[in-house]
Amino acid sequence: MKTNLFRLLSLTMAAVLGLAALPAGAAKVRVVTTLTDLADFARNVGGDHVDVFSLATGVEDTHGVPMKPSFVPFMNRADLLVLVGFGCEHAFLPALLEASKNPRIQYGRPGYVDCAKGIVPAEVPKSTDHSAGDVHPYGNPHYILDPVLAKTAIQNIYDALVVVAPQYREDFTRNREAYLAKLDAKIAEWKETLLPARGEKFVSYHEHWVYFAKRFNLVYFGTIELKPGIDPTARYIESLVASMKAEHVPVVVREPQFPEKVPAMIARQTGAKLVKLPIMPGGVPNTETYIKMMDYIVHTMLEASKEKGVASR
Amino acid sequence: MIPANENSEFNLSMKLRTLLWCASTLLLSVLIVQAQGTNDNEKFENQLKQLQEKFDKQQREMRESFEKQQRELRESFDRMSREQQAEIEALKKQIAAMPTNAPPGAQPESGTADQIKELNEKVEAVVEAQTKTRPNEFNPSIGLVGETIFSYSSQGAAATNGNRAGGFDVFQRSVELNVAASVDPFAKGYVVANASADPVTGDATFGIEEAALQTTSLPWNLELKAGRFFGEFGRLSYIHDHELPFVNRPLALDQYIGGESRTDGAQVNWLPPIPHYVSLTLGAGNGFGGDSPLNNPGTYRALSGFNYFGRLSSYFNLTPDWNVETGGSGLINPSTQDRGGAIAQPNGSAMTEKQRQVVGFDFKLNWVPLQNNQFRGFTWGTEVLYSDSRYLVEPDGAQNPAGEFMDRVGSLGLYSYMTYKWHRQWSAGFLFDYVQNAQNHDDETFAYSPYITYALSHWNQLRLQYTHTDHNAVAGLSPDDAVYLQWAWIIGSHAHGWQQR
Repeated sequence: MKTNLFRLLSLTMAAVLGLAALPAGAAKVRVVTTLTDLADFARNVGGDHVDVFSLATGVEDTHGVPMKPSFVPFMNRADLLVLVGFGCEHAFLPALLEASKNPRIQYGRPGYVDCAKGIVPAEVPKSTDHSAGDVHPYGNPHYILDPVLAKTAIQNIYDALVVVAPQYREDFTRNREAYLAKLDAKIAEWKETLLPARGEKFVSYHEHWVYFAKRFNLVYFGTIELKPGIDPTARYIESLVASMKAEHVPVVVREPQFPEKVPAMIARQTGAKLVKLPIMPGGVPNTETYIKMMDYIVHTMLEASKEKGVASR
Repeated sequence: MIPANENSEFNLSMKLRTLLWCASTLLLSVLIVQAQGTNDNEKFENQLKQLQEKFDKQQREMRESFEKQQRELRESFDRMSREQQAEIEALKKQIAAMPTNAPPGAQPESGTADQIKELNEKVEAVVEAQTKTRPNEFNPSIGLVGETIFSYSSQGAAATNGNRAGGFDVFQRSVELNVAASVDPFAKGYVVANASADPVTGDATFGIEEAALQTTSLPWNLELKAGRFFGEFGRLSYIHDHELPFVNRPLALDQYIGGESRTDGAQVNWLPPIPHYVSLTLGAGNGFGGDSPLNNPGTYRALSGFNYFGRLSSYFNLTPDWNVETGGSGLINPSTQDRGGAIAQPNGSAMTEKQRQVVGFDFKLNWVPLQNNQFRGFTWGTEVLYSDSRYLVEPDGAQNPAGEFMDRVGSLGLYSYMTYKWHRQWSAGFLFDYVQNAQNHDDETFAYSPYITYALSHWNQLRLQYTHTDHNAVAGLSPDDAVYLQWAWIIGSHAHGWQQR
């Protein structure tokens, strides 16, 4: 009886370990991305040679994707982990990485693809003290909302794909060139579209729009949050409303991750236009790709400006 | 009418005449054209010669003009350089004549090349400084957690079987130092040292709660942890006090585990290579439970003297926003040697544990709305424990081999809580506790605890809790009403661990 039990256990273990040793999926590169914009880039560059899984679905806070254990098997089998970097994912990625038990995608390994490589960060704090809130020690991590900087992320993904699957280099190169050409054409279009809104002032809930505002010559007036990760106090809201009125700030941006109540109240008190803008593809309906999302953002900002801001004059 | 022969001769003559005329005309034309061609060639040659001469002349003139301008420019440049150099020299003399803070021996630079050289040296010095490794760069990340409990309890310690005085109380429950860093490419190490006030004397006591090494690159999805750590058992026993969703550790965990699941030993965790999340942990250690005295100190310990524990857990997404985590745990110490010593019973007997077994089942149902999970959420967590231990009973409370006998006691305990979060800063919930005494399952305790939490920020949190504790008649303890105000704060590094998800 004991011998039979031992045999059964041995066979089960051998089967499980054998399954583990098998290369999963013929030759496709398994890519896990933290956010949906990176997933879109990976699909466009990788084409048919990649299987892409994004931890976020698009509606989450970029700093607060829930740590679901169901992510662990995906990360365990991944060849590449693509992340925004600059500490954007500090609240959920380190623990998931540890739980994944996948040495290929750990920090410092070729499978760890930090897309911030080559980006000059904005708003690097002078000191990393929590009196400044949940501050990002490496600088503002929301650079992908600037489509020109997004090209650096695309290049980083391309470089990593070429390292892990050099046999597909030609395909990756062709895909990258095609996507960058498409993106370049859209960047020119977006710049032209937002030209009438040049100099437009706006506030948002979280500091997502630093790079975006700079690229499109808009004026990022401030945030509704008191500090990153810290909700506003009544006194702070009062002072924000007063300064918005004094400076004629006509647009309030609410990212879908944050409650509408306070942004709506500020918009009402200042007479500004309240708009809801996604911060990654899928954040609002019909923004499943990066280009669709940027289209949505650019046209929504333009409409708001036409209604209340400089484009209406 | 013309005769036929004449007609044919005429025709022939006419043809000859026509042929001669045509040939003459053709010859004449060729001669004329040839004569005209000869004239044109000569004309073209003349024109070409004139053009060539004109071009050569213009080129010569341009070269002369260019050389002249070049000479003038060079002279002008030299003149300007001399003038600027003279100005620079004059300025240097002025600067030299002015009072200066420059250190003795510092000489004014002469010329732009020197300035560039100096700048280059400065840049190189900065770059070199950046690449230098300072000894403290290898320091681990350090964080500190403080936790103070302000409380009021209607009963004293004698009535509640607790370890705090009744009435008003302030208790610095912990000052916890967390230190963690990679040891090498293959492992990380961490230490949790805790200083707290002794519940009886009030003196500060310092202890190492955890100090363990954890591998990071074992093959086959394995992870080994060794040292002193909170062994993986159940849902909340390996969570530190300040990370609990309520103020106090559930009674069942206090009763059967001894609070936190601290052990000195080793555990292996395995992630099966399947698409569904399953986690299996097995471990062994000397002692299990932070509040228990060491098992079998000072005498020979066989392998049966160790505690063996394990946990199998999994996770299911019910919808994108709803999920459930569930697990089963087991703990066995086949041969406990006086763990906790002889425990006096209300009936005058004394019980000494000889074998320890605890099994548990837990689940946690979560509502985590993807879109605004920082602001909304709901958790329902429940853990059921069954303690099945064997005791050596001394009926009269004193060692007397003649009367002693072995007794096996099976006791049940559980806790269940619900927490609802409606704001980034606010959440509230309710905890229900039920536990049977591990030595006497007829001795039952119930507790009901509503609580509300206000998080000023992620690192600064206040929690108010009311707890009504009741006992059955066998327990012989009075009901207690207590109010707790917990203030917990974090400074320095703070990692969001996998177990705290």
